[in-house]
Amino acid sequence: MSPAAEKILTRNFGLESYFKIGVYRKHNGYRAQKKALLEMNPAQVLEEVKKAGLRGRGGAGFPAGLKWSFVPQNVDKPRYLCVNADEGEPGTFKDRYILAHNPHLLLEGIVITAFAVGIHAAYVYIRGEYEAMARRLEGAIAEAYESACLGKNIMASGFDLDVFVHRGAGAYICGEETALLESLEGKRGHPRVKPPFPASVGLFQCPTVINNVETLANIPSIIEHGAQWFLDQGLPRDGGTRMFGVSGAVVRPGIYELPVGTSLKKIIFDHAGGLKPGKTLKAVIPGGLSSPILRADEIDIQMDCDSLAGAGSMLGSAAIIVIDTESSIMDVLKTVAKFYAHESCGQCTPCRVGTTWIHKIIKRMAAGEGEAEDLDAIVRLAFNIKGKTLCPMGDAAAMPIISMVQKFRTELESSLRKM
Amino acid sequence: MVKVVIDNLPLETQPGLTVLKAAQQAGISIPHLCYHPAFIPEGSCRMCLVEIEGLPKLELACSTVVREGMKISTQSPRVREARRGVLEFLLADHPLDCPICDKAGECKLQDYYGEYGLFESAFREEKEKKDKKIRIADNLILDRERCILCTRCVRFLREVTKTQELGIFHRGIRSEISTYEAELVQNNYSVNLVDLCPVGAITDTEFRFKTRAWFLKQMESICPLCSQGCNIYVDYHPGFPRIPGTAKVFRIRPRANDTINGHWICNFGRAGYLLLEKDRWMNPVWRKGDRETILSWEKALQVLAEKLRGLGASREKASVSLLLNSGLTNETLFLTKKIFKDGLGLEKIYFADPRPGTGDGLLLQPDRTSNARGAKEMGFSLRQVGLEDFSQGLDILIIIGPYLAELFSPAELKPALDPIGTKFLLTSRASGLESLVDFVLPASSMNETSGTLTNKDGIIQRFSRVFGPCGESRPEWVFIRDLGKELDIPIPGMPSLTDLEAVFRELGHEIPFFRNEPSWKS
Amino acid sequence: MSLDLSSGLKKKIEEIVSHYPKKEAALLPVLHLVQRERGSITAEEERIVAGLLGLHPIKVREVVTFHTMFMQKPLGTYHIQVCSNLTCSLLGGEKLIDYLQKKLGVRIGETTGDGRFTLSQVECLGACEQAPCMMVNFNYYGHLDRDKLDAILGGLA
Repeated sequence: MSPAAEKILTRNFGLESYFKIGVYRKHNGYRAQKKALLEMNPAQVLEEVKKAGLRGRGGAGFPAGLKWSFVPQNVDKPRYLCVNADEGEPGTFKDRYILAHNPHLLLEGIVITAFAVGIHAAYVYIRGEYEAMARRLEGAIAEAYESACLGKNIMASGFDLDVFVHRGAGAYICGEETALLESLEGKRGHPRVKPPFPASVGLFQCPTVINNVETLANIPSIIEHGAQWFLDQGLPRDGGTRMFGVSGAVVRPGIYELPVGTSLKKIIFDHAGGLKPGKTLKAVIPGGLSSPILRADEIDIQMDCDSLAGAGSMLGSAAIIVIDTESSIMDVLKTVAKFYAHESCGQCTPCRVGTTWIHKIIKRMAAGEGEAEDLDAIVRLAFNIKGKTLCPMGDAAAMPIISMVQKFRTELESSLRKM
Repeated sequence: MVKVVIDNLPLETQPGLTVLKAAQQAGISIPHLCYHPAFIPEGSCRMCLVEIEGLPKLELACSTVVREGMKISTQSPRVREARRGVLEFLLADHPLDCPICDKAGECKLQDYYGEYGLFESAFREEKEKKDKKIRIADNLILDRERCILCTRCVRFLREVTKTQELGIFHRGIRSEISTYEAELVQNNYSVNLVDLCPVGAITDTEFRFKTRAWFLKQMESICPLCSQGCNIYVDYHPGFPRIPGTAKVFRIRPRANDTINGHWICNFGRAGYLLLEKDRWMNPVWRKGDRETILSWEKALQVLAEKLRGLGASREKASVSLLLNSGLTNETLFLTKKIFKDGLGLEKIYFADPRPGTGDGLLLQPDRTSNARGAKEMGFSLRQVGLEDFSQGLDILIIIGPYLAELFSPAELKPALDPIGTKFLLTSRASGLESLVDFVLPASSMNETSGTLTNKDGIIQRFSRVFGPCGESRPEWVFIRDLGKELDIPIPGMPSLTDLEAVFRELGHEIPFFRNEPSWKS
Repeated sequence: MSLDLSSGLKKKIEEIVSHYPKKEAALLPVLHLVQRERGSITAEEERIVAGLLGLHPIKVREVVTFHTMFMQKPLGTYHIQVCSNLTCSLLGGEKLIDYLQKKLGVRIGETTGDGRFTLSQVECLGACEQAPCMMVNFNYYGHLDRDKLDAILGGLA
């Protein structure tokens, strides 16, 4: 990977009014869309994206091209694209940046994706709190319609696509793809049992592709420069860059677009300026709140899906939360447990009851009425949730608890004794 | 066929079945709470997780479809641990209400804890406090602390009655089942929610605190309140051996039958069945003016037989009328036909049936009788009686059933009935007709007799005696048979007539329609 | 409160409903607009929305109570939503909540007597690089400290 790595997504973020179609087009915007619609056929587009090794940027890391290929083409039902802009994973704010600064890049990615899979209606499910971003996106959509970059007969290609913005209303679970579908259909965000998978039975029971904002924002550059170029930006099987979101006790929190596989240590200490003056590193949560925690001595690791999975954690949404020694892991545990108890949809037994039970135990411990056995209890309960729930949120709720107790047992026990 | 192995047992099962159903067919039961055969799988209770070789996570038996070569374990250590885990979660959020909860003894949570749990509680926190006595229908109470959010009730009202009176509000641990504003659950199937609820979250005010499930015995039967013939269980207390008349029906529950009633019965039948034992008539009685003399059956039969003989052969037909009802069993009607129609040659045979009501589009039929089809197939005309039918110089009127009182008021009936020589009434319950007749004979209720009934679609179903008899009551068919004996009316092919099944066989010989083997259960 | 929505809103709702093959799918966007006009989603709004989308009102309430952004009662003019998730907590968010409770004289979930401010605690707002942060109605404010809070609240009409 080249030292002066390419900025694929965040290039031109500093440009004034880059979110306006005129400025975007002046800087080569919508060129990839033109190439796809007028010079390629859907199968070619899909093949290119598959070869590019683009893994989902929402958290699960599922290969995008492969997901698209699961959509049956011979079914007499409309196909849909849902853009997951719910960005609820704590620590994550990258999609907000794309929506605010580069909405046209997202739209361009949406059009090319829809073209590849034969989709004519796309819904952007954007979290309700991102009202300002939703309006910016709606403005961009209006501009795109006016410029024949959306709507009927896009760029005179004969391809039609409508894009609609659909606001969420405060529910982390609606970022889970099947809960998103339920919510889009006007129901409570209760995840669905899989199989069947959304590719065959999705929105309104029709074949559906669901992709994260950042994932789709990568599509135009893959089409413009080709799959190999994309792979060259990252790793041989995991191409491109990631918008690493660094927050916490660092000097320069923010978005850092860097190649897949960049060292976590480098991101924290070189790009984000290291810990704030006077602070020492204690732990890092590498991929959003749901990812197992890493100790300070574990951050010499490449930030890509496989490396982190191999270390017992996950890349997730590439949201890096830096924790310093002045913060207590007990407090971190409490915040984590509160979050999942609050966001549980309540459908399945282990998550509905387990997240609250764990939260109650941790609150008791944090209030000075806990014992070492309580640490064992919450790990046991977390294992009763993990792998047993209807949707992956159970694992998301369980893994941080397990990893924090396992890796910071001594500190947790001593904070119990102190009280 | 698909070959699978469940718990080391090789099985062949139809393709498309879920693991749960395939296991059920093989006699292996997999615990489940949110799953119900009437609905598509929900997958939320997580109780039915099983281990499937080759798959990393435990899978749901209720929604995983069997595939060729699948090896499933429902008892492996991982599965046991998972079940225990789910039970532990459910009980952590569940009140210790067993001593006061109606569902005790028939509660899935209790049963599964006994079979798969048996652990000590590790829950040391404060339990969630929720409302415990919410009236969600005129006769239904919701206890939110007991609710395990299986959502069967919500799904029932959405998919079966399509009335949607219940919904789920809030989320997470604060999720709760609720009605909307002041709108209660108000449909003819609401009490099915009590049967559906796996725990005691929804209870019936008619049943609440009245008895304990383990005091009750159950008997398969048929609901006689309309012509649908829904299959039911009669839950009854058998009574105390030395104290007569203490047997009691406490409630009716649906019995699954794919052809007739699915998994449900209607409130009308449920409530109506309990009234069958109301105001029972206990003894044969001769009324003269204001005096009532208790007779024996033998005496009563003698009197009736004498009167019938006394009319002389030529006058019998014209001056005897028989009033039947379409709730009589096939056997009773057949004996009636043989003795009164064929034997005595009576022509004035009419019917007094409960008035038709409105059907509800699901199970409840407008025809509120249980054997009209049977009566028709047997050749009866089912002509409903009119007041003018009594004014033709009748010497003897035999009324079977109380429904005449529903069709006409006593004021209308008295002048019509008074001129008739002798009036006999065979009925199970008091209806006001008693003061208008001379002889009142106690008939058994549905619970005290056996027989077959034909539903509107021609399905013949058998039911058996639950308990009794009450007092001196006797089934109608016994009365008619004994009358036939008194009158020495020979019935070819039926020398003994002691066995109902023999009567039914004879019926089948004579009328081909009744050759179908009556179904006991589907 | 009038018994019906404004004609402008009804037109907008019609347009939104046309975006979906099934009317009820428009529920979330419609609820947002109705809440904006009416201040909250009470039983009355539920019935109106249910009627427009062909739903039983109970299904509207199911969705309203599922989401944290739909209010069943009107709030103060300014809804102060302070993030209580990890990064904001690590950087002092809890102390800011305490400060706001004292400053406004209300507890979390309550509205000031003059109806101006409602104070809530919310989950991650997706602005962690500006932690600790809050959202007032739909406006994000980050890098908060007591002085900044004073300035922001003081600047709200």
